[in-house]
Amino acid sequence: MAPMRAFATRLASAAASTTTKSSRSPLITTTACLRSNSSSSSRRAYHSYDHPPPPGAFNSAERQILSAAYRHVPEHGFTHKALSLGARDAGYLDISTNVVPEGPFSLIKYHLVSKREALAPRSAEIFNAPVAAAADRATPDTAAGARGQLLTVPERVERLTWERLLANQDVIHRWQEALAVMAQPSRVPASLHELALLSDEIHHLAGDLAVDPSWYTKRASLSTIYASSELFMTNDRSAGFGDTRAFLRRRLDETGSLAGALGSIGQWVGFTASAGLNVLRSKGARI
Amino acid sequence: MLSSKSLMRSLRQSGQLPVHDFLAPALFAPEPALHLHDDPEEQRISRRSEPRRPRRRRPETEAEASDQGAARLPVLSLNQAGELAATLIYTAQKPPLVNAHPHLRPLMSHMYEQEAGHLRTFNSLLAKHRVRPTALYPVWSVLASGLGWGTAVLGREAAMACTEAVETEIGTHYNSQIRSLLEMFEGYEVGPELRDLVGTLRRIRDEELEHLDHALENDAKEAKPYWLLTSVIKAGCRGAIWASERV
Repeated sequence: MAPMRAFATRLASAAASTTTKSSRSPLITTTACLRSNSSSSSRRAYHSYDHPPPPGAFNSAERQILSAAYRHVPEHGFTHKALSLGARDAGYLDISTNVVPEGPFSLIKYHLVSKREALAPRSAEIFNAPVAAAADRATPDTAAGARGQLLTVPERVERLTWERLLANQDVIHRWQEALAVMAQPSRVPASLHELALLSDEIHHLAGDLAVDPSWYTKRASLSTIYASSELFMTNDRSAGFGDTRAFLRRRLDETGSLAGALGSIGQWVGFTASAGLNVLRSKGARI
Repeated sequence: MLSSKSLMRSLRQSGQLPVHDFLAPALFAPEPALHLHDDPEEQRISRRSEPRRPRRRRPETEAEASDQGAARLPVLSLNQAGELAATLIYTAQKPPLVNAHPHLRPLMSHMYEQEAGHLRTFNSLLAKHRVRPTALYPVWSVLASGLGWGTAVLGREAAMACTEAVETEIGTHYNSQIRSLLEMFEGYEVGPELRDLVGTLRRIRDEELEHLDHALENDAKEAKPYWLLTSVIKAGCRGAIWASERV
């Protein structure tokens, strides 16, 4: 999984460069941030391994305020209150929450983006853990990591989706409010875009290489499953969200068996059609 | 070879082997490039780390460049769809054609093998660079199979005329992609990724043109309504390219 590791280090170096830049000149970046909002929606045509990734969804000032504000979310929710507390913590005036144009929605987006970006290093940790090291510490979690190389793609998808759901656990009691904000008509496109990016990321990290129409169906079904599991999780009171994981597994199994059935039907139709064609050809029909 | 000259020129101008260049991906998505250029902080950092890099602005503004270049830059998903269609055309052509003319079997197998290899190349490129396949994939599958089967039933000459028309369009298309990539290389250093891409495109283009020669050797010009067949198929190819670039 060399490319995956390279990707992880690239992410880490990108994160490092943004932090050094932010410490240098808060003034320049604060003025620049007003223009750079469009860059958050900029489209990347392909994923390059030679070139550093384009600037992230947030510039350094936004990132400072939002990361500080994010620490207040468990207490104050995804609100203006959390934002202004965060701005104060980051050393800005309360009024500088104006820098964050979409208010609470930016805070939600920060959660979505940062948790999605954290998935790549986490997946490298889970799936590429050296076998020897895992054998020493024989906890069930690392032992599963040692077997990571042997997991099939659907199993990796399940594992990564679960990791992403677990990343919600600190704010899960506030997540229904966030879902309400994300469901507002003007916010729906951005929220769906983030969901699509997440399912693409999960499939990429799981090593799914399909580039036929199943590319679309896989991502669409995972998005649906992830969204419904998230909704289920907001009401889950079981220890360690065990019910949510069972729910997630059931949904993924259902999708898997449906895909298997459709595939079998397709195979049968194709076989019958080509057999029929060949029978006609053997009878001398010029087709 | 005009194209190899311009590659040499770009190598001479840059004078050093390609290193990381944050401008090159910006050429694919022009919006962040404006931001990078305008950010004085960013410029100072990059100048310090790579002092001898030629910093030549492109003559046009970024917006103009993207307008002109968008249609010609390589679209991996489009190339994949094209190779998929070619593979399916040969798959569908083979049984009726080989049935009528058994001596064409080795040629058809050879061309099919090459097209299948191209499709594998682009499939792996798409997966590697996380490119979305075109949404019209099922449409092209059906149309390409129909086209291959239909022309093969019409006869050997029609099938070869179909190959000729398709490969002409595809060869031209690959040529314009290679040209725009090489134009892009001038004044910029690009990583091994893009150089490999140009190499791959060149190899594939040469193989496609080889198929064109095979088609002409096998009496493609003898097809009865030759002008009608080739012009309809060429128009269809251009329409497919136009649509695949957008969806």
